[in-house]
Amino acid sequence: MADCTLTPTEKMTPNLLANPIFRDYFDIHQSYGELVGEDGKIRPHWETFFQTYIKLGETEILSRNSDTLRLLKENGVTYNIYGDPNGLNRPWKLDNIPFLISKEEWNSIESGLSQRAQLLNLVLEDIYGERNLIKKGIIPIELIYNHSGFLRPCNKIKQPGKHQLILYSADVAKSTEGKLWVVNDRTQAPSGSGYALENRTTMTRVIPELFNGLKVRHLSPYFTSLRNGLNEIAPHGNLNPRIVILTPGSKNETYFEHSYLSSYLGFTLVQGNDLIVKDNFVWLKTLGGLERVDVILRRVDDVYCDPLELRPDSQLGIPGLLQCARSGNVSIANPLGSSVLENPGLMPFLQQISRYFLSEDLILPTIASWWCGQPKELSYVLDHIESLVIKKIHRSPTGSSSIDGASLSPIQLEACKQLIKANPAMYVGQEKVEISLSPSLIDGRIVPQKVLYRSFLVSNQDQYLAMAGGLVRSSSDASNFIISSQSGGFSKDAWIISPEPGRVVNALKEIPEDVAETYNDMLPSHAAENLFWVGRYTERVLGNARFLRTVMQFLAEGNKLLTENNRETERKLFQSFTRYSYTLPGFVGEDAEERFADPWNELKDVLFNEKRPGGIKYNFLQFHKAIHEVRDHWSTDTWRVIRGMEEELQNGVPLTHHGHLQMIHTLDNLITSVVAFIGLNRESISREQGWIMLDLGRKLEQSLLVITMLKTTMVKKNNDQVEYNLQQSVLMSNESLVNYRYKYRRPLQNLLVIDLLLFDPNNPRSLTYQVVRLKSYLQNLPKNGASYSLTEYERLILEADTLIKLADKHELAKAEGEEYTKLNTFLSKIFNILSAIPGVLSKAFFKHELTPKTIILR
Amino acid sequence: MKYIVQHTTSYSYLEPVSLCHNIARLVPRNTREQFCNNTSIRITPEPDRINEYEDFFGNKVIYFSIEKEHWELTVNVTSEVQRTASGQMKMPVYHNATIQDVQKEISELKNDSLEIKQYLFETPMTPIDEDILLYASKSFTKERSVFEAAKDLTERIYKDFEYKPGHTTISTPLTELMAERKGVCQDFAHLAIACLRSVGLPARYVSGYIETLSPEGVEKLIGVDASHAWFSVFITNMGWVDFDPTNNCLVSDQHITIGWGRDYADIAPMEGIILSSGSHELTVSVDVKREH
Repeated sequence: MADCTLTPTEKMTPNLLANPIFRDYFDIHQSYGELVGEDGKIRPHWETFFQTYIKLGETEILSRNSDTLRLLKENGVTYNIYGDPNGLNRPWKLDNIPFLISKEEWNSIESGLSQRAQLLNLVLEDIYGERNLIKKGIIPIELIYNHSGFLRPCNKIKQPGKHQLILYSADVAKSTEGKLWVVNDRTQAPSGSGYALENRTTMTRVIPELFNGLKVRHLSPYFTSLRNGLNEIAPHGNLNPRIVILTPGSKNETYFEHSYLSSYLGFTLVQGNDLIVKDNFVWLKTLGGLERVDVILRRVDDVYCDPLELRPDSQLGIPGLLQCARSGNVSIANPLGSSVLENPGLMPFLQQISRYFLSEDLILPTIASWWCGQPKELSYVLDHIESLVIKKIHRSPTGSSSIDGASLSPIQLEACKQLIKANPAMYVGQEKVEISLSPSLIDGRIVPQKVLYRSFLVSNQDQYLAMAGGLVRSSSDASNFIISSQSGGFSKDAWIISPEPGRVVNALKEIPEDVAETYNDMLPSHAAENLFWVGRYTERVLGNARFLRTVMQFLAEGNKLLTENNRETERKLFQSFTRYSYTLPGFVGEDAEERFADPWNELKDVLFNEKRPGGIKYNFLQFHKAIHEVRDHWSTDTWRVIRGMEEELQNGVPLTHHGHLQMIHTLDNLITSVVAFIGLNRESISREQGWIMLDLGRKLEQSLLVITMLKTTMVKKNNDQVEYNLQQSVLMSNESLVNYRYKYRRPLQNLLVIDLLLFDPNNPRSLTYQVVRLKSYLQNLPKNGASYSLTEYERLILEADTLIKLADKHELAKAEGEEYTKLNTFLSKIFNILSAIPGVLSKAFFKHELTPKTIILR
Repeated sequence: MKYIVQHTTSYSYLEPVSLCHNIARLVPRNTREQFCNNTSIRITPEPDRINEYEDFFGNKVIYFSIEKEHWELTVNVTSEVQRTASGQMKMPVYHNATIQDVQKEISELKNDSLEIKQYLFETPMTPIDEDILLYASKSFTKERSVFEAAKDLTERIYKDFEYKPGHTTISTPLTELMAERKGVCQDFAHLAIACLRSVGLPARYVSGYIETLSPEGVEKLIGVDASHAWFSVFITNMGWVDFDPTNNCLVSDQHITIGWGRDYADIAPMEGIILSSGSHELTVSVDVKREH
C-alpha cells in the first residue's frame, strides 16, 4: 500500500469497473445507478472509494466484513421485531460499502430538508394554534381533524424556544434519473440517529482505510445541536435543565438506540413509571427521592404518553403529563401531537403551504401524491390504482399502511377501491419512484441494491441542522418500494463527501467532552430494581452452576468404588440439588426412581431446558432479561462476556461420555464468565448506587443460597462416610475446600464446615460475610427524613445479624436423632427474615406495586 | 328559568390511594339558551393542585390532583344556571331545510365555522355500519326536512329501545345496542349521532342535566339521578338543534347543558387515574332544582 498516487480517471475507469469485484454487480443489473455516471464512467467519489477498497483486497474486505458483524454483535447492537418470537435482540446488520453523497447532492438535500423542517414546524404551530391554514382553505380540515395524530388536548400548548418541532427526520429516495424525493416525513419520535452513529463508529474502527482520500463529514455536530436544542426548550429559561429519554422499554424495536443515546448524550433513560406528576411538575423517582425533570426526549408515541388525557389504556405514559406541559413546566421533544405531521395527505399541499408561509417554492420536491378527499384526485387514484402506492393518511397501529397497487390481484384491487370510496378523505395515492441502485456488499458479493436514505435534523437556533450523514437501509426486493428495517434488510453508513479538510474520522472525537455532566444521584428506581435483580440472578446462576458441576463431577468420576455409600451419596446429592435449585419434582418427585436410573438425562434438562423453572438456562434467561432492562449500565467488555455466556448455553450436547464432559465444560465456562461479569461490573458500572444495588442483590441471594445449600445437604443425619462426601461437595460447590484445608488442617467435620460457611467473617462465601455487607448497604440507603427508629429493612437485617451473633455453633453441630434439629431451625429462621427483605425494599424504593390504575366514571 | 344544579361524585377506596389525577367536566358552559351565573366546587380532601381551562370545544375543564394518602374522594359541584326559553321552539318557518341544503351550507363554510365539519366524521364510539345506515334511512329521505326527520329518529329510538340502566357500560359498542335494543341516554345519543353522520349531517354529543322535580301534574323525566346526555344536529337556518331521544322530546328549558363534543369521550363528566392497588366504590347523585 506504499503507492497512493491515483492514476488519472480516464485511464483508470475501464480497468476499475472491469475488476473482478464487480462481477456480480453488472451481472445482475446493467443500468445507470449510483456507481456509474451517464457517461458510462465510474463517478469520481466512488472511484476514490473503490481504489482503496481494491487495494485492501477481496479476502481482507470479507474478513473485515465479518469483523464488522462481530463487533456489532459484541456491542449488543440489536433491533427488536415486534410479534416475532425470535425477534428480540436481532443483530443489527451493516454493509461495509457506504452510501456516498456528493457535495452538490448534499447541498440540495441539506437546504431542501431544512426548508421542509421549517415548514412542518410552522404547520405544527398553526394546527395547534390559530389554524389559519384550515381557515384560509390552504389545507382541508378533514386532513387534520380526521388524522389520529391530531390530539385535541394538545390545542394551544406552546413550548418555549424558536421551534415547536425539535426533531425532524425524512426518508429520501433517489430515482433512476438522479432526482431526490422525500418519501416519508417522520416527526413523532424519529428513530435511527443512534444506529447511524453506531454504524459510523464501527466503520471507523473496522475499516479506517476506506476513509482515506475521501473527506467524510462528521456526525458529531448533529448531537451537539441536539443537546443545545433540548437545552433551549427548557421551561422557565432553566440553563441547566435535567433531560431524560423516555423509552417504552426493552421490548421496543429500537430499544438499543434508546440506551445507546442515553449513554452517549448522558441523559437518564427512563420508562413511564419512573416518572410521576406532582404539583404540575414531572419528577423522576430515584433511589434518593424525587428529582425534577425539565425536558423529555421521548421515544414513546404521543398518544401513549398520558393516560389521563390521551389513551387511557396506556401503560407507557405518565398520568398528568399534559397538565405539566400546559402549565409550561415541562418541555417534550417532539411535543405531543406532532405525529399529525406524519401525514402523506399533506404532501400535495406542501407547495402551497410553502408559498403561504415562506413565499418560496419547495427546494426538494415531494413525491407526486393525490389526496382522495377531493373528487378529481379521487377519480385519478381510482383510475390509476395499479400504478400507485396507496397510503392511509395516518399509520395504522397494525401492520403496514402502504399498499403497492401493482401487487394486488383484480379482486384485491376492487376491495381496495371500495375501501377508498367508503372513506376517501383517509387515503392518498402516491406515485412510485424507480429507485436508483447502489453498490452493496451482501453475502460476500458486491451487488446493486435499492437504498432509502434517512436524514436527521434538529432545531438549531433559527434554523435546522442536518446530520452530515444518516442511516441508509437497503433492499434487493424490486417490487417492494417501501424498505423498512421491520422486514429485515441491511443498513449502510452514509458518507457526505466534503471538500473541507478533515481526514480519517476519529471515532473518539465523536464523543462530546461534556459527557461527564451526569447526575450521580439519579439512579431511577426502575433501574435500581433491575440492577438488584441482575445481582440476584447472577448469583443464582453461579450457585446453581457450581452445585450442578459438583454433582456431575461426582457422577462422572471414574475409578470410583461402587459402594453403597457412594451410591447413597449420589442419591442424596441429586435430591439436594433438586431442592436447592427448586427444579422439582426432579429427583424427589414420583418418578424419582426413573431419574436415578438415568441421572444424566435429568441433569442435562436442568442445564439446557430454558422452560424448566429453576434450571440454569431458565435462570440465565431471567438474568438476561434484567440485563437488557438496564442495558445502558454495561460496558463493551461486559457485553462480550454476556455474548460468551449466551453462546455457551445455546446448544445441547449428546448424552454420551463425551457429552458429559462437555456439559461440565459448559458449566466451567459459564462459571468463569459469570465471575468475569461480576469483576467487570465492579470496575465499570458508572454509577456508585448502581453497583450498590447490584451487589445488594448478590449478597442477599448468596445468603439465601448458602442457607439453602446447608438445609438441603446437612440437616439430615447420615452415616459418616456419606456425611463426609456431602460436606466435601458442599465445600466444592462453595469454592471453599481449599479454604477449609488451609484454615483447619484436618479432615472434614460437621462443626468446622458449619463454622466456615456460616460464621467465618473472613470467608467471602460465608453467611456472616454476606450479612455484614448487607447490613452496611442497607444502613446507607437514602432515607427520607432523619429518624432514630429503624426502617423495616434495617430491623430485618439487624435481627438476622443478631441471631447469627448469638448462635452457638457447637450446639448447631449436634444431631438429635435423625436430624440436626437446631441447625435446621436456625437456618429456617434466618432464611425467613432475609427473604422478607426484597418485598420491603421494593415498597420503600422501587414502588413497583403501585401501577397506575384508570378509573373512568360514567 | 333559574336552576340550582348539585352534582356530587364520591369514591371510596378499599386500599389507600397515594396519588390521584382527575379531570372533571361538570361546569356548565354558556350557550345561546343558558347562562351560568356561578359555580362552586368543593373537593375533599383538599386538592394539591387545581387547573381550570377550556378544552378544544370550549367546554370548561377542571383538573385536580390529590397527592397525599386518602381513602375517599368527594367532588361536589353546585351551579346556578339561568335558562332562557328555548329559541328552538319558535322557528317553524325554518323547518324545511333538507339534507342537500345542509350539505350545501357546509361546503361553503369559511373560517371559524369550518369547525362544524368535524362533527361529520365517524368516531370510535359512533361507527357507521350497514345496520346504522338502514336504521337512519327510515327517517331520512332526500326530500324530507332534516328537522322533521330528526324528530322522527328521536321518536323511533324512544319507541324501539328500552331504557334500562346497568344493561350497558360506556364501552358497549353500538352493534351490541342495536342487537339488544336496551341502553341508557349515552347509548341513544351515540346511536342518533351515528345515524345523522351516516347520511352526511353534522351531529354532536351533548352532556347535561334535566330538571329533577317537574311541575305538578307533569310526568317526571328519565335520567334525573345522574348526568344526562342527548344529541344535537346542525340544520340550515336553525343552527344546532338539540333532541332528547331518551325522553322523546326537543330539548326544552328543563334541560341544562354542560358541554359537547364529537362523542362521550370528548365530554366525559369525570375521569381519573389513581395510584393504588385496590378497587373502589362509586356513588353519584344529582339534584336539579328550580329557584323561585
